[in-house]
Amino acid sequence: MTARRVAVTGVGMVSPLGATAPAAFDALLAARSGIGLYAPADAPKPVSVPAGVCAEFDAAAVFGRAKAGTLDRYSQLGIAAGLEAWRDAGLAPEAATDRETWGVAWGTGVGGAQVFERGYRDLYVAGRERLPPLTVVQAMNNACASHLAIQLGLGGSCTTYSVACASAAISIGEAFRRVRSGAAPVMLAGGSEAPLAYGVIRAWLALQVLAPGDAASAARACRPFQLGRAGLVLAEGGGALVLEDWARAEQRGARIYAELAGYGESCDHGNLVRPSSEGQARALRAALADAAMTPQDFDYVSAHATGTREGDSIEVAALTAVFGARAAGLAVSATKSAHGHALGAAGALAAAFTVLGLHHGVVPPTLGEAADLDPECAGVAHVTGAPRRGAALRAALTNAFAFGGSNAVLAFRARAAPD
Amino acid sequence: MLDAAPAYRFVQERLGVDLKTADAATELSSLGVDSLSMLELVFEIEEKFGVKVDEDTPPPKRCGELVALIEQLAAAKP
Repeated sequence: MTARRVAVTGVGMVSPLGATAPAAFDALLAARSGIGLYAPADAPKPVSVPAGVCAEFDAAAVFGRAKAGTLDRYSQLGIAAGLEAWRDAGLAPEAATDRETWGVAWGTGVGGAQVFERGYRDLYVAGRERLPPLTVVQAMNNACASHLAIQLGLGGSCTTYSVACASAAISIGEAFRRVRSGAAPVMLAGGSEAPLAYGVIRAWLALQVLAPGDAASAARACRPFQLGRAGLVLAEGGGALVLEDWARAEQRGARIYAELAGYGESCDHGNLVRPSSEGQARALRAALADAAMTPQDFDYVSAHATGTREGDSIEVAALTAVFGARAAGLAVSATKSAHGHALGAAGALAAAFTVLGLHHGVVPPTLGEAADLDPECAGVAHVTGAPRRGAALRAALTNAFAFGGSNAVLAFRARAAPD
Repeated sequence: MLDAAPAYRFVQERLGVDLKTADAATELSSLGVDSLSMLELVFEIEEKFGVKVDEDTPPPKRCGELVALIEQLAAAKP
């Protein structure tokens, strides 16, 4: 029996780099930063942090004002990304009769945090006794997935994974398993996050992992792998892939961007916030084994690297441990330098950029200067400042490593040139 | 009691629908207003204008019914 292959046939993204996947990919290749100084408008005490805001996303234009008002921002961003991926895959927007086994797998870390915050403000600050009637269904972490399933008529599994910063990578991995096993011919998978609420920002500040910055420096506040990196930058966004049985995709003449070939997971089981290169290496090896591929097969890794002093070098240590002699030639970049860390959506943004990179044969860059690379992060072929074009790009990994120690790695293979 | 003019402005802001010019027979659903958005809207009108919509009142389905609801709240004694 031949195992089923899984095709990526649609890509969607709403990010600080643009309101669509092509816009964001172009901005990334142009090494533009989507990060700026952000101050929540309704903060009881002023606060401002560098952050990635989806400024070009207009929820009222996408959904109409009435519908937009019934959705938390994490759902707005996610539904928009999911529907873009669906259209991109050339699938009909309307529910059809043959979608009873098709499903959606979504990821989010804090889900409807903005609705929670609004509710607490109403109760504790404004002294109200009643909350808006949709508070529960807006705030729940599976709202976005269910809206997508309802809108597209997907009658199979509808699940949401909340695994901090690995949420969307795990949702894509689990969806991949469903397609590969034959349980679902088509899965919509991804994640979304809208963490820029006052309380969430305060909580992250308390953890002392956010990069500082002012209006002038915010755009370059996230500096993965570079000397002087000072922390991560929070971001909002949504990303989605359509995963499809390869034979089915070929049969309907769909454009196949890439193959999702493997998925590996692990847990550091050590510390909630300090990552472990051994734990990460287990997930990397698991992904390679799942894809039946070797280090020699890969030309690129989209790193999890968030720009923290310890985390980035630990990730490079994991890569050099797994890739050995191949590591020095392995292109590595961290797109969070351009759009920030979208937490539960991060794995979907990384996957979307990687799939587009494989399709176009280009490695997106880490924003910054090669001269600023930290020697502690040496050992791989960093792609810094400008995209790498013209070199072989056969297969790529995307890393997503979460607080809590959950690690998820996805292995993508470029679609072979048509013969 | 509710002042009708700001209520109409509020509906326009929330739903993007100008009830003054809308055809009374137009179904709200055709304007992107579903039952969930109507539930939320009625709650917001109650909170913002300090009125109470009778629980037995069926949710408006057409523009004219929403106008009637607002006029009824405007006419009600405080």
